[in-house]
Amino acid sequence: MTETFYEVLRRQGITRRSFLKFCSLTATSLGLGTSAAPTIAHALENKPRTPVLWLHGLECTCCSESFIRSAHPLTKDVVLSMLSLDYDDTLMAAAGHQAEAILDEVKKKYKGNYIVAVEGNPPLNEDGMFCIQGGRPFVEKLRETCADAKAIISWGACASYGCVQAAKPNPTRATPVHKVITGKPIINVPGCPPIAEVMTGVVTYMLTFDRIPELDRQGRPKMFYGQRIHDKCYRRGHFDAGQFAEAWDDEGARKGYCLYKMGCKGPTTYNACSSMRWNGGVSWPVQSGHGCIGCSEDGFWDKGSFYDRVTSITPFGAESNADSIGQAAAGTVGAAIAAHAAVTALARARQSNAHGQPEKQGENQ
Amino acid sequence: MSLAQPLPGAAIGVWAGDPSPELVAVFAAIADTRMRDLPICNRQLRVEAVGFQRTAAGHWAGAMVTPWAVNLLCLPGATGWPALAACAKHEWEFPSGCYEFTVADEASLGNYHLCSLFSPALEFDSHEAARLTALAAVRALFAEPLAEPAAPRASSRRAFLGLGR
Repeated sequence: MTETFYEVLRRQGITRRSFLKFCSLTATSLGLGTSAAPTIAHALENKPRTPVLWLHGLECTCCSESFIRSAHPLTKDVVLSMLSLDYDDTLMAAAGHQAEAILDEVKKKYKGNYIVAVEGNPPLNEDGMFCIQGGRPFVEKLRETCADAKAIISWGACASYGCVQAAKPNPTRATPVHKVITGKPIINVPGCPPIAEVMTGVVTYMLTFDRIPELDRQGRPKMFYGQRIHDKCYRRGHFDAGQFAEAWDDEGARKGYCLYKMGCKGPTTYNACSSMRWNGGVSWPVQSGHGCIGCSEDGFWDKGSFYDRVTSITPFGAESNADSIGQAAAGTVGAAIAAHAAVTALARARQSNAHGQPEKQGENQ
Repeated sequence: MSLAQPLPGAAIGVWAGDPSPELVAVFAAIADTRMRDLPICNRQLRVEAVGFQRTAAGHWAGAMVTPWAVNLLCLPGATGWPALAACAKHEWEFPSGCYEFTVADEASLGNYHLCSLFSPALEFDSHEAARLTALAAVRALFAEPLAEPAAPRASSRRAFLGLGR
């Protein structure tokens, strides 16, 4: 009999009180409201736990770095211990043949019932020789491991879009996961790295509800990638009033004016940074005085300098809202279409991750 | 860390009448000066204040169409306006739900709150399309949401312990 998530926690010495707190905070960070906490608690107490295999292709490990620094209560104890019990070649204790044996074991024992989380991507040139693990190309390991998976999580810009190793001219032909693996549900969680609370939120949602979160057309969870950085930016009032920093350390920069003219990619970037922020809600790039570099958007390395002003915004291109509100609004002027666009925009605006900011850790130790 | 810095004793002006004419004048001036020729602007759009009306609390709310955004705006119309500095966040309750607004301070308008709906607003191919969408947004904002069956409250013991509220 497979043990439940809760049993694993208890075995790790987690108190029930801490467990319930974890459920409550997870519920709010997922935008479900605290009333969903009992549902999460019930699921974690009763469902057999879902094994997660965490693979690494061409990457810099910043996704792992972000994840293990999650300020979300218990994350390092809870979610992480769940993952490392199975397979993560950065974090697990096993090594060599013993480690690789875990992959086979999970694949057989939990056929069709485990999640593969991929950090990085496979290079396809020269038959995948640019990334060799355990004596064979990573792309083979990826294909084999994903074959019997229930779902796949693509961590970060690498797995989702390709990131720097896929930047022109992409000598190794680094390829995003969804272009190699087909026929499986794939959740893209872009960002370089993604926000820790977004990563734990996605994992916990899937482990708890046994389904993938609602995705947009680019395969990103809507709950975290539904709004532009620009929409929730605290400097937004300065943008609307046309107050811009025109040079680093000019009067506007000192007054905290909008960084659009200094190359901020906030207007074209979908991510939760401006509402959830980073490092446990302490700060985020714009708050530290630097524009958004758009790291969660497709091909962000190939869009010119981070300090170039956004000049070409293709409303229907990759940056377009995946809900295609814009497309509906752009078609013909019709009251019904306008109403649909308006209601969709309002629903998006209502989504607030403000409550999702993790509480201070000390309280939950 | 909170960005909100309360302003003790700060006097905030109150809009006795519909702020639309002033809003249009101010944002039209910004459009002609600071925002002029910025690629983020949609040249099809003009500045227009759409559907401004009193909220239940007596404040003013409506939609502002500018070449760079379609925003919901909230302006003080009565006493009880929260004293928050620019860049703070504030949640406003409307019949359709709760929305997080960002506090802004423009010299000629004073303290007001904004909630972004479309920005950049390049998806609109005519001003009429943006205006209609803004109008629909204001109507939906003040409309009751479609009735949903009320979910049973979480057990009160959880609430008592502060676990489920």
